[in-house]
Amino acid sequence: MSGERFLSTERGERLVADLTLSGVRVYAPVEAQGRTEYGLIKDLREAALGGPLPGMSLKSLFFPPTEPLFRWRQSGSEVALEAVPTTFEPMVILGVRPCDAASLAVLDGVMGWDYKDELWFGRRQAATILTIACPGFDDACFCSAVGLGPDASKGSDLLLVPVEGGYHVEIVSDKGAALVKAHPACFSDPRGRESAEAFRQQARRRVGSNLEIDPHRVRAWLAGHFEDRFFDGLGLRCHGCGACASVCPTCHCFDIVDEPEGLLAGTRRRHWDTCQTGKFTVHASGHNPRADQNPRFRQRVMHKFWIYPAKFGDVLCTGCGRCTRACPAGQNLLEILGQLDRQPQQIPEGMTS
Amino acid sequence: MRELRELAKKLLEEGTVSVVIGWEEGPRGVRPAFVTSPEDAEQLVFNSRSVHNLATYLNPRRPQVRRLGKPAVVVKACDAASVAALIRETQLKREDVVLIGVRCGGVVGRPDGPAELTPETVARRCMDCEKREPALCDHLVGEAQPAPPRGEGLGARLGALEAMPLSERWAFWAGELARCVRCHACREVCPLCFCERCVADKTVPQWIESSPHLRGNLAWQMTRALHQAGRCVGCGECERACPAGIPLALINRKLQQAVAERYNFKVSDDPGVPAPVGAFRLDDPQEFIR
Repeated sequence: MSGERFLSTERGERLVADLTLSGVRVYAPVEAQGRTEYGLIKDLREAALGGPLPGMSLKSLFFPPTEPLFRWRQSGSEVALEAVPTTFEPMVILGVRPCDAASLAVLDGVMGWDYKDELWFGRRQAATILTIACPGFDDACFCSAVGLGPDASKGSDLLLVPVEGGYHVEIVSDKGAALVKAHPACFSDPRGRESAEAFRQQARRRVGSNLEIDPHRVRAWLAGHFEDRFFDGLGLRCHGCGACASVCPTCHCFDIVDEPEGLLAGTRRRHWDTCQTGKFTVHASGHNPRADQNPRFRQRVMHKFWIYPAKFGDVLCTGCGRCTRACPAGQNLLEILGQLDRQPQQIPEGMTS
Repeated sequence: MRELRELAKKLLEEGTVSVVIGWEEGPRGVRPAFVTSPEDAEQLVFNSRSVHNLATYLNPRRPQVRRLGKPAVVVKACDAASVAALIRETQLKREDVVLIGVRCGGVVGRPDGPAELTPETVARRCMDCEKREPALCDHLVGEAQPAPPRGEGLGARLGALEAMPLSERWAFWAGELARCVRCHACREVCPLCFCERCVADKTVPQWIESSPHLRGNLAWQMTRALHQAGRCVGCGECERACPAGIPLALINRKLQQAVAERYNFKVSDDPGVPAPVGAFRLDDPQEFIR
């Protein structure tokens, strides 16, 4: 599906009003108490479009920090299970960053691999993603180094590029086309294609200068160097706090717990987990195969830049830079990727997955 | 800076220590550095962006740091109080660490932010800090420093919160804690969270629900607070690490006040001062026992 339209700022307001009126939940970056996060809006004027990158990534809306999987109730020897809904009311997310939109498409791989995660795909199906091309946020951005870009349309249904008076709209998916079709009064004939192109080029240049690596080269090196001195000091300053995983749009590990509510009922829930803590790998015996922060940080790098791409094709990183901004100890993924990219390539045969 | 670098170099050269834990200028601001060879001592810096409490690397839960051998750690006055607490609580022997004290005129809130100290940029905990240099140290370096800029410090924020009616205060904390994602970053960066197995990680029984819903988050944050009472030195690293931006330093400051009022205990960098939870006194207030 392709095609172009124009969405003026005023018509954008109308679009949000129309969607809200028809019962669609509309999300956008919202500023509150000095923080910008994706949140529910009723009026486009509540949104902080073009403001800072939201602190938490978009994944919370598709894979919440905690969610029930089912409830149980025991009566005598009978146990009744109560399922949770796996279909969701339609939602439109407006002003998504390209790095966040791409993360959804990247995560579809693991979420739909051996088991199709109903909660993930239920929300994916319900959501229409209106991405706004990003001018590049700061020096921690590196989307273009992982095969994306500040104007990438991966994972988006519509890609909006800021131009004079509104947005140049690129229709990316059938879902995006359906939204345009359902709101004919909001979208007009395409306008500002040239200035949109100029915006995109400038953004690509700006972000591109932050980090230039070849992710394939990094992957090939990692595949052959699980045991390498490079990793020996990698976790020294790392606290293992997992803030990086919390803000990461692609970190998706979860734990499953049963939470009793009284003696005879309870909820099974899943919630975010992170490989950066010792608890993540500790065995019942007390032995921990990842005994300290060096192998734990290695795992973060290996999973994102070798294991996941080998299995699902995509790098498990969209270059949003949140981990680097959030790290209280100054761990810097751009620096680490740059160092990995410069490692001499001597790949043992058969190790390149 | 010269003084600091030369001292670090000397300590490494003569083999007094195997590693100097200090700060360096990283690609995005100042960050912790682990210097193991004398020639690398040149990378050490101390300035207004040396925000991190490096005492946290003395926490026994860090085998990768312990393996480096005997450390020297650069400490501000506030960081030295953390070292004192680790010694007080028998997690560290005084002779196992060399402390390089630095004279400090306050630090900014963010190590990757502007370096200039103004009422807007200065870390809240520094606004009412009276200590320019640590007493607990083996070496003291740097020029004498002026007091940090004053501004609306933690005390003022806490006062505003305490002036709220109970329902409003509850709404405030419920709103803040609802954002907690239970990554436990607050615990992991804390120099004094050294339990080998945290009560929050125990599952048989599960004392604290691990899910980040308000019930679990409250249980976790209340437990953390009570376990820190009379121990927390107020370095604020938990709040800085929190990816959800929860103002944890307010809770810590409140606890400090409560402990000061009830047990006459003030945060100290003297390891000989007994901890209120670690010392028994016949005259401890106990009117709540009936």
